[in-house]
Amino acid sequence: MTEETIGAAIDDRPAVAWIDGAPVVFEEAVAQAERLIRASSLPVFAHLGADVEGAREAVLLAEFVGGVLDHAASTALLRDLDPIRETGGMLTTPLEAAVRADVVLLVGAVAAPDWVSRPARPYDADIPRRTLRLGEGAALLSRLAALRARVKRRPVASAPAGLEEQAETLRDARFGVAIWDAAELEALAVEAIHGLVRDLNETTRFSTASAPARDNGVGVQTVCGWMTGFPLRTGFGRGQPEHDPWRHDSRRLIASGEADCVIWVSTFEGGAAPSQAVDIALCAAGAQIDARVRFAVARPGLDCDTILHDNAAGALVARKAAAASSAPTAAATLAAIRARLETPPC
Amino acid sequence: MLIRIVGGRVLDPANHRDEIGDLWLEGERVVAAPAHGRADETFDASGCVVMAGAIDIHSHIAGANVNTARLLLPEQHRAHAARPAGTPLSNAGWSTFETGKLYAQMGFTTVVEPAVSPHNALHAHLELADTPVIDKAILAILGNDDFGLSLMRDGAGPAAIRDHVAWTLQSSKALGIKVINAGGVAAFKDNVRAFSFDDVVPHYGMSSRQIVKTLQRAVADLGVPHPLHIHCNNLGLPGNFETALATIAAAEDLPLHLAHLQFYGYGREGKLGFSSAAPKLAEAVNAAKNVTIDVGQAMFGQTVTISSDVLRQFSARGQAHPNKYVIIDGDANGGGMLPYKYKSGAFANAVQFAVGLELFLLIEDPGQVFFTTDHPNGAPFTTYPEIFALLMSRDLRDQWLEKLPAEALAVTTLRGLRREYTWAEIAVMTRAAPARLLGLRDRGHLGVGARADVAIYRPGPDLAATFRHAERVYKDGDCVVREGVLTHYRFGRALRVAPEPDAAMTRRLDAYYDSRYGLDAGLLSVPETALPREPFETVACQS
Repeated sequence: MTEETIGAAIDDRPAVAWIDGAPVVFEEAVAQAERLIRASSLPVFAHLGADVEGAREAVLLAEFVGGVLDHAASTALLRDLDPIRETGGMLTTPLEAAVRADVVLLVGAVAAPDWVSRPARPYDADIPRRTLRLGEGAALLSRLAALRARVKRRPVASAPAGLEEQAETLRDARFGVAIWDAAELEALAVEAIHGLVRDLNETTRFSTASAPARDNGVGVQTVCGWMTGFPLRTGFGRGQPEHDPWRHDSRRLIASGEADCVIWVSTFEGGAAPSQAVDIALCAAGAQIDARVRFAVARPGLDCDTILHDNAAGALVARKAAAASSAPTAAATLAAIRARLETPPC
Repeated sequence: MLIRIVGGRVLDPANHRDEIGDLWLEGERVVAAPAHGRADETFDASGCVVMAGAIDIHSHIAGANVNTARLLLPEQHRAHAARPAGTPLSNAGWSTFETGKLYAQMGFTTVVEPAVSPHNALHAHLELADTPVIDKAILAILGNDDFGLSLMRDGAGPAAIRDHVAWTLQSSKALGIKVINAGGVAAFKDNVRAFSFDDVVPHYGMSSRQIVKTLQRAVADLGVPHPLHIHCNNLGLPGNFETALATIAAAEDLPLHLAHLQFYGYGREGKLGFSSAAPKLAEAVNAAKNVTIDVGQAMFGQTVTISSDVLRQFSARGQAHPNKYVIIDGDANGGGMLPYKYKSGAFANAVQFAVGLELFLLIEDPGQVFFTTDHPNGAPFTTYPEIFALLMSRDLRDQWLEKLPAEALAVTTLRGLRREYTWAEIAVMTRAAPARLLGLRDRGHLGVGARADVAIYRPGPDLAATFRHAERVYKDGDCVVREGVLTHYRFGRALRVAPEPDAAMTRRLDAYYDSRYGLDAGLLSVPETALPREPFETVACQS
């Protein structure tokens, strides 16, 4: 045991850092994390459940060490983004949807937002809402295709029950909104919804508001966008940011062994644990996780002030800590590791 | 640290200075030459032009819409080199870091992001905080928000409108107010597909004209230095010069800034019913000393249009190149992102190119016409050096015109315009005048006490190269660019005005957010302390 670990043990405060399960002072864990990253040829930042500052520091550190950035919700985020960057889309905010949508098209098993049961009120009078759900699993794609055809009054070979009424409801919308959860839909379904909405806008107004990704996925993707130009699954292996959803899939990199240093960041309550041991973990206190170096970091908005994507507001918002603690933030921890890496070893 | 810049042509029109001489900097300020005459550092600027750092009043560099465009167009901004030692992420294409680097290298030290919806203000400020070197500011958008429109409809009176504008400026931490297709974006949510200056917003009974005049008055009454910044209706449409003329006429004697006037300089003449109306607009601007405009010059090449004029962007969706677009119906203005390619062989694009240059050359006072491309809508800001060169050289313009369709030039007056901008006029247009327009008393000039933001250019035969890579740039007295290359980062400030909020209006908005959204209005405000890397600097309002 080093002097520092003894120091940690006699301190009153709860430990915030461990090496191989044994409590150490923060700086010792930072030094060990730095050694692991320095020795790595492909560090991978996985899960990335972090707030804006945490994500910023992850991007800066990843650039510095030639690492890869991925998020727990990347699959869903990219499923939403891919059709948009292929063909475009019509989007709205959760606030605008709640206020304005007179027709709500729920696709798949997505939970209906609370506001669906209330009338819309875009101006000064209530407007009753009509809600449709398309949720027939495997038949969803063909149902979407048939609906799109009938919205444009094109013939379909066989019209499923209720199709005509649904098409008419969509066409009659004043400002309709389609809602789905990309985590459970296939990519083609998302593309089909955008096509349907595009067609509807030829005559009326219709938009979309997909369910936000977990663990501040939208916020982390936003940060990655302005810092690198790209969404997640971006890596710096060749020095410059390169976006490649297959090459930079953290699950594939970990499973194949290409990732030789996994930095797991999960600061939110209920964030998933990795399926296998990781090298460096920055997790909320109490998380059950097996890591060579582990930090118990502050939970954004609970233990520390934060900025993150707010799912109700549909925007980045600042929140004060519910009860500020002395736990280090993920951002401060990543910054401390980068500071050590930037200092040449003597 | 006392810095002496010696022997350059010091060009400082705000202080009527144009002479070979010295400039002294100490700390973050320009200082008088000390009696002892000893400098800690001397830069020999012989053969160079020494000016204040340039100020860009209208460039879409940050925020939710810009970031959506980044994600929409991964193919347009590959990174071009690995990490440079001193400036992380500055080679990542279209990152905020690259934006700050490229602006600094051109000698720009202050840039205004002119279109931020209040609910996305924090996002915009976060991006600006990651934009190195330059100081920056946002303009907050009003004129399509339901709260403001309902105030106007209900005849709330000038005081209430003023209080709402003040609240918005405080909440967004903005330097001014912009209105974008006033009422037209709100109307589009009600499926209105065309909206002119005297059209009326459904449910609100307010015309665009009434909204503009109401906001213009409120901004002036609050003493916000920057006048209402207006994006008119009918952007891009043939015959729309009439909309711009009507807007100018409606300003009466109050100050008004018209953004990217090039996009409103279109007549209906010629075989194709599309022609330049720039001379008519220039004549109106020359006659209206209360009006300022920026050009929004179009340049040839691939770009993306990013606009909170959702109605216009939706209407233009068929012109997207490549063929994809995002339209966002936001809480107020939202946005539309459409990639677009300006082609030198295309009639309409050549007319647009000519209209921009005609406005630059026909508006007589360089303090009334501002240098912009409406980045990235007319062209990316990286084309500024070529535009400076075109303004300063009629020979260069003639070379460009040879390559453009003759039938396009025939519906413009560009070929006959022989004016060449002087260095002094460039200094007025990009330094002295924008500082005055924004109320930035310690910027845009080199008098004692000015902020030590200095751009030094070494004029050569290739003027574009001269402007692309400044010889040296000092930001707050720190030499950040040497021989055209950024050497290290420093981070600037966010400039904003801070009119006193009215307690009754604050309560009223709290109640409105609670009943309409079930949210605390404060949640969508920018807290004073949210941005540790980017302190706010308050610009005084005029009393």
